[in-house]
Amino acid sequence: MPKPSKGTKKTVAKPSSKIKIKINGCWHTFEPERDIEPTMTLSYLLREKLGYTGLKVSCDEGACGACTVIMDGKAILSCMMLAVEANGHEILTIEGLAKDDPIVEAFAQQCEPGYGTALQCGICTPGFVMSTKALLDENPVPTMAEVKEALSGHICRCGCYAGIAQAVTHASEKIAKKGEES
Amino acid sequence: MKQPYTPRPNSNRKFVGGYRPRIDAWEKARGKVEYIDDITLASRFPGMLYAKVLRSPHAHARIKEIDVSQAEQLPGVVSVMTYKDPEFTSLKPTNAGWTDGVDTVSYDKKMWADFNDRRVLGDYACWVTDEVGAVVAAESEEIADEAIRLINVQWEVFPFVLDPLEAMKPGAPLIHPDMTQTNVLPPEKMGGEDVFLDKGDVDADFAKADVVIDGTSIHHNATQASLDNWCCLVDWTDEKLTLYSNSYEADQSRMHISEMLGLPLHKVNVISSYVGGQFGRGDTGEQPFFLFTAVLSKKTGRPVKFKHTRRESFHDSRQPAIYYGKVGAKKDGTITSMYFKSIGNTGAYADHSIFALKFAPLEISEVSFAHIPNVKLESYAVYTNKLPACMMRGVGNSQFNLIFGHVVDLLAERLDMDPIDLCIKNFGHEWGDFPDKSLMEVLKQGAEKIGWSKKRNKPGQGQIYDKIKKRGVGFSLHPAWHAEWQEVRRGHIPISITLNPDGTVILNAPTVETGTGSNTCNVLGCSESLSFLGVTPEKIHWNHVVNTDTSMKDCVQTDSAVSYLQSEVIATAVEELKREIFERAESVLKAKSKDMDIVDGCIFVKKNPDQCLTVKELLFKGDLVPIVVTKSRLPNASKTGVPYFANFAEVEVDTDTGKVDVLHLVVINDCGQVMFASGAEAQQVGGQVMGMGEALTEEIIYDEITGVPLNFNWIDYKIPTMADMPEIDPILLEIWKGAGEYGACGIGEGTLTCTPRAIMNAIYNAIGVRINDIPIKPEKVLRALGKV
Repeated sequence: MPKPSKGTKKTVAKPSSKIKIKINGCWHTFEPERDIEPTMTLSYLLREKLGYTGLKVSCDEGACGACTVIMDGKAILSCMMLAVEANGHEILTIEGLAKDDPIVEAFAQQCEPGYGTALQCGICTPGFVMSTKALLDENPVPTMAEVKEALSGHICRCGCYAGIAQAVTHASEKIAKKGEES
Repeated sequence: MKQPYTPRPNSNRKFVGGYRPRIDAWEKARGKVEYIDDITLASRFPGMLYAKVLRSPHAHARIKEIDVSQAEQLPGVVSVMTYKDPEFTSLKPTNAGWTDGVDTVSYDKKMWADFNDRRVLGDYACWVTDEVGAVVAAESEEIADEAIRLINVQWEVFPFVLDPLEAMKPGAPLIHPDMTQTNVLPPEKMGGEDVFLDKGDVDADFAKADVVIDGTSIHHNATQASLDNWCCLVDWTDEKLTLYSNSYEADQSRMHISEMLGLPLHKVNVISSYVGGQFGRGDTGEQPFFLFTAVLSKKTGRPVKFKHTRRESFHDSRQPAIYYGKVGAKKDGTITSMYFKSIGNTGAYADHSIFALKFAPLEISEVSFAHIPNVKLESYAVYTNKLPACMMRGVGNSQFNLIFGHVVDLLAERLDMDPIDLCIKNFGHEWGDFPDKSLMEVLKQGAEKIGWSKKRNKPGQGQIYDKIKKRGVGFSLHPAWHAEWQEVRRGHIPISITLNPDGTVILNAPTVETGTGSNTCNVLGCSESLSFLGVTPEKIHWNHVVNTDTSMKDCVQTDSAVSYLQSEVIATAVEELKREIFERAESVLKAKSKDMDIVDGCIFVKKNPDQCLTVKELLFKGDLVPIVVTKSRLPNASKTGVPYFANFAEVEVDTDTGKVDVLHLVVINDCGQVMFASGAEAQQVGGQVMGMGEALTEEIIYDEITGVPLNFNWIDYKIPTMADMPEIDPILLEIWKGAGEYGACGIGEGTLTCTPRAIMNAIYNAIGVRINDIPIKPEKVLRALGKV
């Protein structure tokens, strides 16, 4: 399958209407061709056009998970989706998480003995955080096997998987505690 | 709940060695940290162009003719330059092995001065995807890509060779015929002769030894695979050149550019920030693509960005090496002679091959084999048409450990000894007591954690699980190599501490943070040193941007040694800071400096402790100018020896499918002083991912017919994920002690050096057949078991 390129103009039929994507709670309207070319990936639109650089493009072919964002509640690889495919959908990037997001907090705080931190160089971290969010939104108390399954599409070359798994467990606990409080 | 490590008795550290989050964890977890690709967004550099380079489709070829006219006519293309342009023909030949990153060197002092085998842009290609012939600057990456496709090249294609043993034979295709008449790199001054150590007489000893064993091991082209692909942006639109890059060497990059492009140092500014993983990739800062990007910027008068795709980032690798080892010993297990010979697959360019092949074995022989009377080391680095290969989280250590751990296991089996006892009996180091305390403790702790005495079988004779599965345990050990005395080549290490009037601190301990956690180590070291001021880590700001115009020289994240080197300098800056504070306090407290002291941020007169004020009060009474102390010193050269580290593994082998499952890994590092426990354990745990990947799944595969690499992507180059990793137990020890306040050593590289051999020995223990070439894929296991 040819990989979608990001900027080259190709002659295709003009979509009749504007493209609307809800990003982090706000609807954005794009003019087809002018703002979004048919071959533009969602990751390119988010990073290069809109400045959401929290998601990272590393492999650009769906193998590493660094570009993960949430679309309509599901974790997706934004490098594997065309921007036009997001038309009418709701996207959440890491910038859209609350400042005190329990998952971010759990990843940042992980330091308990025996597992190491949940991040080192940090370049894969936003992707892991977003997949964790999608997982915990659907399954608030996952088993370790479910955590591994949900996050095994991500590569952390620093190898912080053990710390990440701990962070997911702690995030789950934090969310439960918040639920009790409210 | 796992247990924290046990600090050295009576060490009483307040901050150093603690379990706590990284100082950058919050920003990183929120996606706020900007890496090079974020910093160089087009919106921040108006008029920015994108560069691409022509890549060779052939393993070995020269450009006969090149026609760029079609590329030049493509709308959006701003410039196409070729190797024929004077901007390139005027450049000196170079290599990517100026330095291993430890020190900054000039062109004349570069480490491998004899191997100037690279051209910034030449007409000669030595491996498939070699950067060669032409570069393009265009308005978008896609246009630049398209322009590259429109370049018409007539290649003169030469025969190629991928296997170093083939490449050594007479008549093999010569990779660099302009430089050498053989593919074997000639001996030179840094690495010495082919036989680079010949102590005693190994042959005579083998003839009379009670027991002699020998074996081989083969290491492959693993790749660093940082997620942060190589990228740079050069703005050379007026006299001054500014480079933004994710090289981990800012000062060396500045020197490289200055020397190669003939610019004075103050006209070159190199800016680097956080890097998304390094692991030794690119060896050093001196990358040819910085230079062709710079030339394009000059030519077009616009900032130019050059970025490798993930596939193009398969650009560096760990050097594959074939090792032969032979050991002679007495019946009681005393080793009397050791001989190692290696053949390294250098790949297309020499880079640091000699370093990997000669320095690592020499280092271990100087410490661990120092008392063994007969030792001979011999090495050959061989050019082939594969991707260049050298550093990857260590330089040659992993390859050497693969044979070292092998001969230890072989000899122990022959002598019917426990290999742990054999190690304790034979290895220690030159300066230490015998047996070596660090080595003993490392092995003792590892053995306990893995369940050595219970789980170790007679090879292949253990219990059978699920009718077809066999289990085994194994280990390997290695001396560390990043004590302070081994870092002397760095030269002066500068830091500065700015004490603000309100008692907070700005710490300038410049380094390009690649994820190692040295920034947190430094903040902990700084708060430890400044605890007399009541400074806690939260009150310290560490500057993460290295900018060669405004920063001091960066301490490069090589050898994992930044974890303590800068903290040692910080510790020596304290007296000067105190002196400055006392001087300022003299007029206020109406006392002499020598009569004052500070505890918990309160300055007082020793004879009359009531006569006191806080540092904040002092500075707010004055001119509100922060106190700045800048300190720089050479690493402490006292030869304190080195500590040991080891890995233990338990595996389960499916004898029907050949699949190896690692069940448990234990990684033990004697650190001297743990600087930051959570960070050190993250290195230990994380290293196992890379080590286990190298041992079992990671491998670059070439089409032998065409020389084309087939898996330059992360679908087919298999990096372990969370689902693949077993239980890992990290163990930190403080047994050995180095020089200085902390006496620490770097451990990052030494977390995975022994992992592959530990797994291999465990596989042997499980199935009773040795497999000595990694990665150990199922087919190799089945072949070893005689099933295919």
